[in-house]
Amino acid sequence: MKTIPPPCPEPVSGIKYWRSLDDLAQAPEFRQWVEKEFPQGVGEDGDAVSRRHFMKIMSASFLLAGFGLSGCRRPVEKILPFSKMPEGYVHGVAQYYATAMPTRGTAIPLVVKSHEGRPTKIEGNPEHPDSNGGTDTFAQASILGLYDPDRAQRFAKDGNNVTREAALDFLTATAQRFAGNGGAGLAFLLERSSSPSRVRLQAELARKFPSARWHVHEPVDFDVHQAAASALAGVAAEPYYKLDQAKVILSLDCDFIGAEQDRCRFIRDFARGRRVNKPGDAMNRLYAVEGLMTLTGINADHRLRVPTSQVLAVAAAVAAQIAPDNAAVTALAGRFPLPAGVKPEWIAECAKDLLSQKGASVVLAGYRQPAAVHVLANVLNAALQNVGKTVSYHAPASAVASALPLVELARSLNAGQVDTLVVLGGNPVLNAPADLDWATTQRKAKTVVRLGYYEDETFAASNWHLPAAHYLESWGDARTSDGTLVPVQPLIEPLFGGLTELEVLARLGGLPANRSHDIARETFRGAVGADNFEDKWKKFLHDGYLAGSAAKPLTLAAFTPDRAGAAFTAAAPLPAPGKDNLEVVFHRDYKMDDGRWTNNGWLQELPDPITKIVWDGVVLVSRKTAEELGLRSAQQTEREHGVVDVVEIELNGRKIKGPAWIQPGLADYTVGLSLGYGRKRDVKGGTGRVGHGAGMYNAYALRTSGAEHIAAGAKVRKTGESVTVASTQEHGSMEGRPIIREANAEQFKAHPKFAKNMDLESHTEHLIMDPKTGMPKMIYEHPYEGYDKRKGQSGKDLSQQVFKSDTHQWGMSIDLNGCVGCSACVVACQSENNIPIVGKDQVSRNREMHWLRIDRYYSGAREKHHNEHVDDPQTVVMPMTCQHCENAPCESVCPVNATVHDEEGLNVMAYNRCVGTRYCSNNCPYKVRRFNFFDFTKRPLGELYKSPVTSFNEGEWEVLRWWKDPEKSSRPEDEWELLKLARNPDVSVRMRGVMEKCTFCVQRIETAKISQKVKAGASGDVRVPEGTFKTACQQACPAEAIVFGNLLDPDSRVSQLKKQERDYSVLGFLDTRPRLTYLARVRNPNPKMPDFREVPLNIKEYWDQQLGEPYAEHAAHSHDAPAHGEKKGAH
Amino acid sequence: MPAIFPKWTNRLPAMLIVGVMLAGGGAGAGIWYYFSPKYTRVGYQPIQPVSFPHSVHVDQLGLDCRYCHSAVEKSWYSNVPSANTCMNCHNQVLKEDPKLALVRDSFNTGKPIPWVQVHKVPDYVYFNHAVHVNRGVSCVHCHGQIDKMEEVQHAKPLSMTFCLDCHRNPGPNLRPPGKVTDLAWMPGTGGVPMDYGAKAVTNWHVNASQNCSACHR
Repeated sequence: MKTIPPPCPEPVSGIKYWRSLDDLAQAPEFRQWVEKEFPQGVGEDGDAVSRRHFMKIMSASFLLAGFGLSGCRRPVEKILPFSKMPEGYVHGVAQYYATAMPTRGTAIPLVVKSHEGRPTKIEGNPEHPDSNGGTDTFAQASILGLYDPDRAQRFAKDGNNVTREAALDFLTATAQRFAGNGGAGLAFLLERSSSPSRVRLQAELARKFPSARWHVHEPVDFDVHQAAASALAGVAAEPYYKLDQAKVILSLDCDFIGAEQDRCRFIRDFARGRRVNKPGDAMNRLYAVEGLMTLTGINADHRLRVPTSQVLAVAAAVAAQIAPDNAAVTALAGRFPLPAGVKPEWIAECAKDLLSQKGASVVLAGYRQPAAVHVLANVLNAALQNVGKTVSYHAPASAVASALPLVELARSLNAGQVDTLVVLGGNPVLNAPADLDWATTQRKAKTVVRLGYYEDETFAASNWHLPAAHYLESWGDARTSDGTLVPVQPLIEPLFGGLTELEVLARLGGLPANRSHDIARETFRGAVGADNFEDKWKKFLHDGYLAGSAAKPLTLAAFTPDRAGAAFTAAAPLPAPGKDNLEVVFHRDYKMDDGRWTNNGWLQELPDPITKIVWDGVVLVSRKTAEELGLRSAQQTEREHGVVDVVEIELNGRKIKGPAWIQPGLADYTVGLSLGYGRKRDVKGGTGRVGHGAGMYNAYALRTSGAEHIAAGAKVRKTGESVTVASTQEHGSMEGRPIIREANAEQFKAHPKFAKNMDLESHTEHLIMDPKTGMPKMIYEHPYEGYDKRKGQSGKDLSQQVFKSDTHQWGMSIDLNGCVGCSACVVACQSENNIPIVGKDQVSRNREMHWLRIDRYYSGAREKHHNEHVDDPQTVVMPMTCQHCENAPCESVCPVNATVHDEEGLNVMAYNRCVGTRYCSNNCPYKVRRFNFFDFTKRPLGELYKSPVTSFNEGEWEVLRWWKDPEKSSRPEDEWELLKLARNPDVSVRMRGVMEKCTFCVQRIETAKISQKVKAGASGDVRVPEGTFKTACQQACPAEAIVFGNLLDPDSRVSQLKKQERDYSVLGFLDTRPRLTYLARVRNPNPKMPDFREVPLNIKEYWDQQLGEPYAEHAAHSHDAPAHGEKKGAH
Repeated sequence: MPAIFPKWTNRLPAMLIVGVMLAGGGAGAGIWYYFSPKYTRVGYQPIQPVSFPHSVHVDQLGLDCRYCHSAVEKSWYSNVPSANTCMNCHNQVLKEDPKLALVRDSFNTGKPIPWVQVHKVPDYVYFNHAVHVNRGVSCVHCHGQIDKMEEVQHAKPLSMTFCLDCHRNPGPNLRPPGKVTDLAWMPGTGGVPMDYGAKAVTNWHVNASQNCSACHR
């Protein structure tokens, strides 16, 4: 049988079920068909296309299409090979490139995966000397930003399109214009950067334009660390902390786990300092003093809740105990008395603990705190002899000698001194202090040139707008926080011809080398010299860092009390907040940062690590504040599925409205406001279609210069309105069930098996025991267990039988002592597994699609007044995903065998078999299965409920579009084409009506197995060696808390961890036999502290509810003890 | 009163049942046969834009499969050669042949040759060439005697059953990895024992997975 396809003179891209009418007219089948009825030429009157001809073609095309003679059997697809194959390219094999994501003053070293030329997955670079391969949520989500359909795609002048050439000519002309007058009237506004190339270009431009003025603006600026250290030391110095060396850590409102720059390194070191393998292992102790409830606070052993403005007073009190002979410190402590409600014993014992670990303690100050707190932290570290041990100082990476703050730029703009303002990055119209009225102020420059990634708020106030290249499209360089030089290497040509900051600077300076590749190379040449340059450059790009380029520690002279005293006297006390004088704290959002990620759907949909809220910024208030304001209680909100009161906040005459959220652990009379929400999209510029309308308020509207982080004197009024806030975890209590098992370090020492002795499985008799193994007997026979290849089974035909694999049995272990709840794994999973974004409305219906979630539980001391127990809660977090049970409850209820076990212990989903009964989800005790209620991938989020029959998109009925090309989506063309590029081709994109869940990254397992088999060839060496691959969550985890591997290898890390005494399975009494088990958490509280608790609070709940003696030794499965049965239910 | 219905109508229900069963059975059988990959795929032979006779290149000239399909041992995907691979020889052999106009064109202009895809598994199937070829599964098992084909034809159904048949019993389809591209090779030739494949299954720890996760992710 021969099928003759139509001739193909031109390569056609994409899939077509039938060709265009012209093509069809030439097709032999068609000609044959036509010629039978109407011999050629009959009835034709010479017109190229007569009406009759047209009708013929139409009917022919419908016939062919309808009967599917050629089209429906299978689509004819084309293979378009290269004309000339690029050297070393193998189609289908992913490539990895080392690069780095520049952050404000540092960078995250990365290895990025590329499929057929498109970057698809971000991973950390574990080779880098100061990285373990961990990343953070922003780095993981940044790849979606590359494919953001709303990013700036054009060069524009006053909002009108211009060509790229015209824009570049303008830059050259500007360079020539200012070359004459030394740059008078030229002003630059930059973001912070650690790029040595930028430092070099800036220096060259400063030489050319000595009168030009340089400014830096960051709404959330981490420069305060460096500024305070430099002021104290007298030379430019940046502190560099080594938390893994510290035994006692005091955080002064320093959210180093969540909101500080370089958090993945902090998390790594903090988790390393807390790792315990056996009872009695030393671990660090964290004291946190803070007003907001932060990730650092929830991980602290002792947390002191004071208003953010009062942290200085607490810090001064601690300092006075540690350095009583420092006159400046004691004077400060005298000026700032301890806030009401803070127990002096807390301060005294904390100071004692710090003093007991001289040289192994560290004091950290957060970016929100004024310079005095930072100076104090440095003074304390010096007094505790930590310098050179847990903290060192080195020369800062981003030395911009003459950078002025934004206020200075506003002053010169208002004075009419600026002719041309060059804004490189940033979004000052959104995030400049409200009192500067930046939209108007910026206009006072004659010409504003702006390089921006979005056509955002600043776009409207600029004359020339140049699209910025994504860092995955750019050449450049950066320094990580230890000073190591890292390359920024592109994986793809700029999708929309964007420019880098370096290119714009070089063109404005009229420099000969104006391609960023050449600029970065030239800088590198300066760093390594010209000998063997090409080899060094290649190695640099290959490794992703320059070995030995870490900054050398500075030896600083002893801090003089004079310099410290100067910073202290400048500190003005803020009044303690009260009901009519609320304190507003603006915080860097865990997901939006300062607003730069507003248009990123993955981050919008990521539950906030603390509040678990998605797609929204809320007004955080404490329980007491809410009660005094008459707001509905947290319990009421929970009952009403997230309905909260809208409040109006007034600060110095400026007002915003937002939904109030009662946050346990928040300081009273504090109002926490997230940055980066409440942005709109309109024709003049703004955020994109994703970020449009997310969040009710824009906190920048209240933020004024001088009170960027903490502002006193706010009033909050209940408006009477209410809105629904979507939260993925309405209920935050475990109700006494030992889902997360904890002990204090002392209890762990006394009862090493405590985790195994909790819950029903430790002491009930409802499980029938197998006398041979001593384990509970399986409820049903394991699908592959019953047939052992080596033993065989008499009388059975084994040739068709599948056996449990004796090569691999996969398992995972999550260390709850390591997990801090940063959520990098959640975004990594979303990126790796093509998990769709569902939007706020669907999340509020509990239809979020994340395969991996982080559960956060509060527990309070209930002996207090019944409501107050939530005020100072203990918080625990737990990554929860498919447990890959060996006795999987989901498998036994699936009517179509869509979810089954494989022989290596994975619980797998066959999407094509799934008919969407959702029985499995109902029967899953862990609630980790996710159902595709809609075709989330193909439909725009706003049109999920629209029928394709009635939707009309881009000039065509949806149903017709679909009929023509089922591969097409209802999304706008630009969005669809870009979003397709972000998908991982190794994972199926799921359709509507199927169930999905964590697969333990089966695509990575299979890839590793295949590589090993390819290597093995004609040999039996097929076992994947330990460390060959990591699951996406494991790879992203900076805390190294997630470990995955082969349980059959006794030396694998996962086997070792599962042997630990802390190992337990969640809901183990159901006898589901999870392959994912957890290592119980160990707290390290100081017994002398006033807030010391004998037993972790959630374990106390377990105790109080008489579910069991938490730390009693049940002889494991002690059925032989006859007395036990009588006591059942009594304990 | 005369009967309204003639007598033969008594048998009508039975006739209907039989008729429906026959028609239904016929339709079922038709679907069973005509909608199966064995019918829809086997024999599919589109005309390619450039007539490339495998019979000449492989059978007569003795080119190895991997000269052109160079990625087959490294990637899941066995590539169709780029025009420069063709031109390695055809810049000297048949330099002016009109049949090769498209190849020369592609080489000079960079425009790819639109080959028509013959073998294709659905998108939700993750088939990997490298693991099969490196572990002694020959091209011939899935592609047939390509070396004898003038124009490439779909020789095997490549249905799920087809895959599973071999995964259930891989032994007979295993050969020394060096012989995978020798499409005419038979077990028992060249000093290779007849039970080579069966032994290889044990010695190489061949575990041709029959689980969903082997191919569906």
